[in-house]
Amino acid sequence: MNLAQQIINGLVLGSGYALIAIGWTLLLGAARLVNFAHGQLYMLGAFVAWAAMDRLGVSYFVAVPIAVAVLGLLGVLLQVMMLRPVMQQNLTSLMIVTLGFGYVFQGGAARIFGGNPQTFVSPLQSAIIRFGEIWFTWQDVITLLGTLLLFAVLWLVLNRTRTGALVRSVAEDPKLAQLFGINASLVYIGVFVFECAAVALGAGLVAPRSPILASMGFDEVILTFVVVVLGGIGSVGGSLLAGFGLGMFTALFGALVSPAYTTAAAFLLLLAVLVMRPRGLAAR
Amino acid sequence: MKKLATPAALLLAALTYFVPTLAGGAPVIYAACITIAILAVMSYGADLILSYLGEVSLGHTIFWAAGGYAASLLAVNAGWNGWQTAGAAIAVSIVLAGVLGLATLRTREFVFSLVTYAAAVVAMEVAFNWPFLGGSDGIVGVPPLQLTLFGVGVNGAGNVDLWPVAWGLLMLTLLFIQRFRRSRLGTSALMVQMNPDLAQALGVDARAVRFLVFVASAPISALAGWLYAYQRAYVGTDMFESYFLVLMLTAIVIVGRRLLLGPLIGTSLIIVQQTFFSIGGDGDKIVLGAVLAGILLLWPRGMIGLWDALVSRRSSRPRPSEPTRS
Repeated sequence: MNLAQQIINGLVLGSGYALIAIGWTLLLGAARLVNFAHGQLYMLGAFVAWAAMDRLGVSYFVAVPIAVAVLGLLGVLLQVMMLRPVMQQNLTSLMIVTLGFGYVFQGGAARIFGGNPQTFVSPLQSAIIRFGEIWFTWQDVITLLGTLLLFAVLWLVLNRTRTGALVRSVAEDPKLAQLFGINASLVYIGVFVFECAAVALGAGLVAPRSPILASMGFDEVILTFVVVVLGGIGSVGGSLLAGFGLGMFTALFGALVSPAYTTAAAFLLLLAVLVMRPRGLAAR
Repeated sequence: MKKLATPAALLLAALTYFVPTLAGGAPVIYAACITIAILAVMSYGADLILSYLGEVSLGHTIFWAAGGYAASLLAVNAGWNGWQTAGAAIAVSIVLAGVLGLATLRTREFVFSLVTYAAAVVAMEVAFNWPFLGGSDGIVGVPPLQLTLFGVGVNGAGNVDLWPVAWGLLMLTLLFIQRFRRSRLGTSALMVQMNPDLAQALGVDARAVRFLVFVASAPISALAGWLYAYQRAYVGTDMFESYFLVLMLTAIVIVGRRLLLGPLIGTSLIIVQQTFFSIGGDGDKIVLGAVLAGILLLWPRGMIGLWDALVSRRSSRPRPSEPTRS
């Protein structure tokens, strides 16, 4: 086994995990909301981009922005439907409602795009860079840089701008924020649109690595839950670190111990952490 | 009136035994009735958590699958009869629920849901990769169910043979849930959910209550899985599929939470739609998911809430709205 190559693989995997998790992180941390349809939104993002390339014949670089825009619009629609439980902060209802939405997306995508696996091709996936025995693709580089950039922008917006302050005040107490003239439902819609658009971007960059399937939803993003919770629920920096940490863990565990049990091992790690620290590693 | 309520309920329950016969007795009817009974029992396991603890367990497919795997493994490899495999299914599910219950003791809300879901993913990956559990092929060739007592009972694999068992299991489950609702544990669980501070002031140990309810719920879903293994003569990792999870939750919320017959009626509606009015596998998924989301968004208390709204509109009397829990 080439250790340097595994570290590269870990970085590549980790940036993907962090990128797919960023929407969830903001949703949970800033708005204290959950969305169990996150995986199916990832799947939809990948399929919308694939369909744009396959049916409309546009290039990869146009297809991904189309997917981001479509999912953003879907986010508005979903959030408007969910406004009542969101304003009541009824997490139990929201969990179940979003599970239901996810199931609708899964059935709907299979109806619209067919039940067969498709290949979502990115031209950057075949552009390989080599240094001696180590290799990676331009897709990996773009994913890594895009992830770092998006996290930096999110952190700056949340902590250094008036918009960020609005989001944080609504997260703290939506009713009180409304008393101060903040339109809480608009903030929630904004956060949710960011989540949907970010996961579509994640799908656009990460999904070309493997065939896409209408039923892949939960399985593909299940590890992002580990990222979000390990990172300390809503901590932007924590998620980024947890993403890379998990990427390293997956790459090394898969290479050294057993590729078949990698997901199980990651979840056992999560369980162990949660037993000791129920609010995540970075929680105070 | 009240004196007659219990005998009337018992009579009605006894009459349900003849539902397949009354509906024509065709094989497809028997199969649908057994499936309804099995999946309703499975849902009652999750119902205990959702209705009485107010948490969303995404891990009950573990207990459902554990029951099926325990029955199949022991019936195929050790030739155990139905009583023995049922006992094993209960024991295995209690052990698993004990471990998971301890691990989730301090978690709440979405962390609880995430951890239970994570556990289900781990369990599925183990079942998929471990040859002892049949790996990706599952366990095939589960023998007919032998469930006899003093020479009388069931010995078969056909739907007509299995119906008395499915019906009996459903009745036992209903009886258990009914007793649970009135038990000290059941009322404590509701109090912990509705008003944790009051529960604490009255000396209720919230963690102990949550743990006990969680452990008590597991054998219910496990026994459903146990019978499912005999009905299909096969178990596999498909028992972990999100279909069962979504079905459980939909069955519970469709009529309304905390109603004794809610999950049974909910399961019946879903299975009747999927058996007799199916619009294809993917279409049925859309229906199931849309019903689940739609009910909670439009009438959060289920169809009972819709009924109340209609009645109150007709009598045009303002009703106190239900307090919402955050």
